[in-house]
Amino acid sequence: MAFVQNLPFISIILSLFSGPLSSILDGKKAKWLNVAVITVIGAMSAAVLGFVLETGEAYVYSMGHFPAPWGNEIRVGILEAAMALFFCVIMLLCMLGGIREREEELEDTKQNLYYIMVDLLLCSLLALIYTNDLFTAYVFVEINTISACGLIMIRQNGRTLEAATRYMIMSLLGSGLLLLGICFLYDLTGHLLMSNIQDQVAVLHENGSYHIPLQVAVGLMSVGLAIKSALFPFHAWLPDAYGYSPVSSASILSSLVSKGYIFLLVKIFYRVIGFEIAGDSRVINVLFVFGIVGMIMGSVSAIKENNIRRMIAFSSVAQIGYIYMGFGLGTTEGVVASVYHIISHAATKALLFVAASGITDASGDSTDFFDLTGAGYRNKLAGAAFTVGSLSMVGIPVFAGFISKLLFAQAGVGVESMAKMMPTLIALAISTVLNAVYFMKTVIRLYTPERKLAKKKNFRNIKMAEEPAKSFTLVCFIILNLILGLCSEPIVTLIGNGLKMFA
Amino acid sequence: MSANIMMIAVLLPVLAGVLIPFIPFKKRIWMMGYIEFMVLLTSVLTLFMLLNPPQENFVLFRFTGNLSISFRLDGLGMVFAGILASLWPLATLYSFEYMKHEGHEKYFFMFYVMTYGGTLGIALAEDILTMYFFYEMLTLVTLPLIMHTLSREAILASRTYLYYSLGGAAFAFIGMIFVLTYGTTSVFVPGGVMDMASLGDKTNLLLIIYVLCFCGFSVKAAMWPFSSWLPKAGVAPTPVTALLHAVAVVKAGAFTIIRVTYYSFGTKLLKGTWAQTVVMVLVIITIVYGCSRALKETHIKRRLAWSTVSNLSYILFGVVLMTPLGLVGALSHMVFHAVMKICSFFCAGAVMYKSGKNYVHELGGLGWKMPKVFLIFTISGFALMGVPGLCGFVSKWNLAKAAVESGTSLAYAGVAALLISALLTAIYMITISVRAFFPTKGFDDTAIRDVKDPNWMMTLPLAVFVVAMVVFGLHPQPVLRALESVASVMQ
Amino acid sequence: MTGFLLLPVFLPALTGIFLLISSFLEHVKISRQSGTQEPVRNERAGKGLPVFVGMILVISAAAALWAAWAGDGSVTLFYMMDNIPISFRVDEMGKLFVTILSIVWVLVGVYAFVYMEHEGGEKRFFGLYLLVYGILVALDFAENLVTLYFFYEMMTLASMPLVLHNGSREAIMAALKYLFYSMCGAYLGLFGIFFLYRYCDSLTFTAGGTLNTALASGHQGILLAAVFCMLIGFGAKAGMFPLHAWLPAAHPVAPSPASAVLSSIIVKAGVLAVIRVVYYIVGPGFLRGTWVQTAWMILTLMTVFMGSLLAFREPMLKKRLAYSTVSQVSYILFGLSLLSPAGLEGALLHTVFHAFIKSALFLTAGVFVFQCGKTRVEELRGIGRQMPKTMVCYTFAALALIGIPPASGFISKWYLAQGALGADVGVFRWLGPVVLLVSALLTAGYLLLLTMQGFFPGEKYYEKTSEKQEPPMGMLLVLIAFAVLSVLPGIFPNPLISYVSRIAEILM
Repeated sequence: MAFVQNLPFISIILSLFSGPLSSILDGKKAKWLNVAVITVIGAMSAAVLGFVLETGEAYVYSMGHFPAPWGNEIRVGILEAAMALFFCVIMLLCMLGGIREREEELEDTKQNLYYIMVDLLLCSLLALIYTNDLFTAYVFVEINTISACGLIMIRQNGRTLEAATRYMIMSLLGSGLLLLGICFLYDLTGHLLMSNIQDQVAVLHENGSYHIPLQVAVGLMSVGLAIKSALFPFHAWLPDAYGYSPVSSASILSSLVSKGYIFLLVKIFYRVIGFEIAGDSRVINVLFVFGIVGMIMGSVSAIKENNIRRMIAFSSVAQIGYIYMGFGLGTTEGVVASVYHIISHAATKALLFVAASGITDASGDSTDFFDLTGAGYRNKLAGAAFTVGSLSMVGIPVFAGFISKLLFAQAGVGVESMAKMMPTLIALAISTVLNAVYFMKTVIRLYTPERKLAKKKNFRNIKMAEEPAKSFTLVCFIILNLILGLCSEPIVTLIGNGLKMFA
Repeated sequence: MSANIMMIAVLLPVLAGVLIPFIPFKKRIWMMGYIEFMVLLTSVLTLFMLLNPPQENFVLFRFTGNLSISFRLDGLGMVFAGILASLWPLATLYSFEYMKHEGHEKYFFMFYVMTYGGTLGIALAEDILTMYFFYEMLTLVTLPLIMHTLSREAILASRTYLYYSLGGAAFAFIGMIFVLTYGTTSVFVPGGVMDMASLGDKTNLLLIIYVLCFCGFSVKAAMWPFSSWLPKAGVAPTPVTALLHAVAVVKAGAFTIIRVTYYSFGTKLLKGTWAQTVVMVLVIITIVYGCSRALKETHIKRRLAWSTVSNLSYILFGVVLMTPLGLVGALSHMVFHAVMKICSFFCAGAVMYKSGKNYVHELGGLGWKMPKVFLIFTISGFALMGVPGLCGFVSKWNLAKAAVESGTSLAYAGVAALLISALLTAIYMITISVRAFFPTKGFDDTAIRDVKDPNWMMTLPLAVFVVAMVVFGLHPQPVLRALESVASVMQ
Repeated sequence: MTGFLLLPVFLPALTGIFLLISSFLEHVKISRQSGTQEPVRNERAGKGLPVFVGMILVISAAAALWAAWAGDGSVTLFYMMDNIPISFRVDEMGKLFVTILSIVWVLVGVYAFVYMEHEGGEKRFFGLYLLVYGILVALDFAENLVTLYFFYEMMTLASMPLVLHNGSREAIMAALKYLFYSMCGAYLGLFGIFFLYRYCDSLTFTAGGTLNTALASGHQGILLAAVFCMLIGFGAKAGMFPLHAWLPAAHPVAPSPASAVLSSIIVKAGVLAVIRVVYYIVGPGFLRGTWVQTAWMILTLMTVFMGSLLAFREPMLKKRLAYSTVSQVSYILFGLSLLSPAGLEGALLHTVFHAFIKSALFLTAGVFVFQCGKTRVEELRGIGRQMPKTMVCYTFAALALIGIPPASGFISKWYLAQGALGADVGVFRWLGPVVLLVSALLTAGYLLLLTMQGFFPGEKYYEKTSEKQEPPMGMLLVLIAFAVLSVLPGIFPNPLISYVSRIAEILM
């Protein structure tokens, strides 16, 4: 066994222990530790990715060399490694982008608490990505929930507390359903390790026995994860949670946390149930329907929204809808599109949140739509970044969003049944229009010159050099977006290969 | 001839435009020199390319395996590129003078020049993805031009424009996906890329998609019921309304529809189906609707914009006839309408620039103060009406010929619509001239005492257009021959 | 010497354009200097202008007549598209029309030299006058339908400013009305041309028609509809119902010489276009017995009757004459609609006679305006005592129009009635002549009333109208000439009749 193969496990442990370690450090040091940990893990993930690409096959890493069914396993393939790398990059950028806000907004005593939460969050995400054990996955789902809650309510005011409570309740409901589902499966198959369950499920499927309980299990797990990842109509917690938390929390939550759950769902479909069996069940049709409704309703809510942060949050609801719609198509192309959208949406949404914070900074910390008038002139970089993000969301070629749209559409056309093809395409088109309405409206607002009245508010001009970290973040995000938009081919192939390795 | 020249022609104006705000010009004249030089250079390159068409294609970069941004020059592209290359330098000249009083010139010219590249990109696109790419880019690049004055009205207009355009593109996108999926190849092939044999029961689906795609692209071509952005966009400075909203952008919409109809879906698939009927009905409605709105409108530029709406649907009417003759008609109107409409817009712009008058009822007596402008306006009005001897008649003739040839009763209705529209055109164009030359009695002209014809930078383009209208009107043969050879590949 | 045909087209047209440009520049200059916006009041041309215009006019008319009668010339100008040339050729029909045109144009021109002093803006007026002459010559000589259409539109555009000459709001509205009706008609005509182009061998005028029966079989329905559109469309110029309304609006506001030529010549362009379409492209055989012929006859008879009736009720003299034109030109169209040789002969005869008669009548009305500024019929009570010579001319013309033998109108109406009775057109065989007769009675009513009141105004008007007010010599001579021309052909009709019957022979 090569040393590289240990790295996934090491990265989980590293992030897990950096949390407690941060609790004894002061804020500054915890910050640097956090940055270092993320960077190191990113580097390690890159190494793992390189290794897996080279060998061309996934490997299983048994902890303590206990064989299944007793031991706990980690399974690493191309997709897992790539996701880990990507999550690290995004998280690093999100943390960089919100440095000043954190220092200003958080009480000194809570600085290190924030980093503990982030470290734990990273740990749980990595575990969700890598684990081959359903129960381990459940455990880290809970850790994830708790740390995410911490990130939401770290800035203590009424709204965040309320938002965190809501989030907590919904999340726990989701976790509960997930747990129920896992129990069902365990009951049916007698295993917790994913590969073992899959074998058993295949046998059950062949026999035709326990058909309904199996369906129920899949349903419970899907609904649980759907609630946690804010699929319409379970999105009520989301706008407040994203809208009022600090910028790095919002961007991490929207781009990573919900995506972690979705990735888990992909794993469950592919690795636990088996894609064919999952495809046959009606669950994915339900996901498809809710995905499409979510695409439309999320955007409609966003159009009505006057608070820019909440608007972006509602846009997330719509984008999550895209992802579920991709699953719902029940084809590999659909899942590839969804996974690509996980990536492109993470990159874009984080960009939007950070850019939005830059914009509101220049507008006297007001998130109100009308106060943003002319902000594009006051903070040029943030304005440009927001424009890029918006264009990507609308799906303009050269930006990341276009490729997802293209993949979704191609997957949609590839579907046999007309009942899915036309709704997919029409929903894509309508959703594009709706996205255009609220994002481009905002962009135009940013570049509308402010009226004279506005002088009274404490608007200020922000230069690029004023906040190097944020500027750097924004530039990186823009570049990332362009990379995703222009050089999508290797990434798409990588996802395709990764999914093949999954099964 | 190397294929690189296509890339240069597209990228040169884009880069030249991007650079404008960063170059510290000492004097305005230097900026003017730089811009005119770049535009002329692009035009010369393009015309050179038209004379020595490169045979092979040029791939700029690849998105994924078979999806790439690539250029190839074919007959249809030559027509559009030729229109652009001839009009852009003249329009630029005109805008130097016009933009004096508008401000923010650098940004204006930045986007103005970049648009040139975008439209050339559409003209030279080898496949539907490239075309879509430049189509979207065109939307974005022209947006700041509409917003230019940054007045409330301009902002609202730009919003409308954006929603319509992006929404249209979204539906065009669906069409694109289907072409990519069901087509035998992703590049444009005269006659279409659909493999009729393998389609089977998917034919009806494709027809639905065609209608969606047609509607999507026709947003740019301002077809009813997607036309209201165009008159609103009239708040943009006149060079924009004249060149972009009468020629480049809207014709790009018509051009994309030609591509989709003749080169992607293919007339074999579409001809005689319900899809053809649907789009033709929409087009015919637009022809009449645009004109009647023009009649109602008293703001000169908006009136001309509604007239454009109607005239663009002339082109589309030729397109949806789906015969080679129809294509000839469509292309001839594309060429001739470009000249006529840009000319009348420039006249309207000159009036606004010199006298500040925006409405038809304010024009009394201006004809004698700005005789050149109004004479030329009258001639362009005649041309739009389709008076024989001017170019409008030629294209109308060709369109009607094609319609009669195609022999369906809907096409006959289209001919009737063309003529009704011509009559309405006569009304809304001539009333302007009459009002300008024959003010009501007892008219007091102190307010317009010092109004004069504009200087050569504005009148030279006008003169060129008038000459073109007459020459094309009396001797359209060479142009028509060229267009026929373009359309002949459709057999 | 075939190019000689172009001389009467281009000489007046170019001279006209030259005059127009010079008048335009003058006006611009004046407008710049003084800031006045009154249209063309200040531009007073010297005595040289009439001489110059007169010379050009006479030369052109002589050239036109020479070109028409000296041989069958033909000349191709250039190819517009699809191998359709703009080309001219002299044929029998063209000869006839050019001759009437030239005679009327020169005479009215002479009248106008005097008359226009009173209206002003001579330069522009004569510029247009010459231009329209050139266009009309081209129209008459046109060899194919596209050429005809080309000059037809030109004629509309060039004659429109004649209507709005005095620049009043009313005149402008009338001119626009004229333009739009004409355009509407022209486009209806164009609609038909598109179809004829498709289903005919060529658009070159050929006696008997060029319709390709093989191509057209199965498409008769749409072809008939197209031809009907053309009849309505070109009929607009000829004042046929339903597009007749421009005539009564445009004639009263135009200067009298302009109304004279509008009424006597320009409306005949519509007639010519109809003849060309029906007898030279479609062929009378195609229409005979179809619903188009029936509808056409109904429309013309309606127009004949309605025009007379409206004229009868109209108090404004020039407007009354305009309605009379509406009615009379539909006599011609009725003759054409019979699609029989006698009908065609009657129509052509009436074309000739009506041109002279209506010129005379309008010029008389112009004299009244010129001399005493009176436009309403009841104001003209006793006018015969003031201008006996003018009124005698008027009376002769009126008698001719009513069709009292031996004046000319009688001959043409005779032929029309004969044509109707001889044609195989069902109920119209007797309905046509009846309507014509009734209309003739109405004509007598609306025209002769003026004569009676003019000469015998009643006791109380004797005082007011004792003063002689005869117009200047130039105008009076022209009036007399027209009066003679309206009566004389009725007394010596044979050469004309033999000429038109030759045409009818060729065509049928």
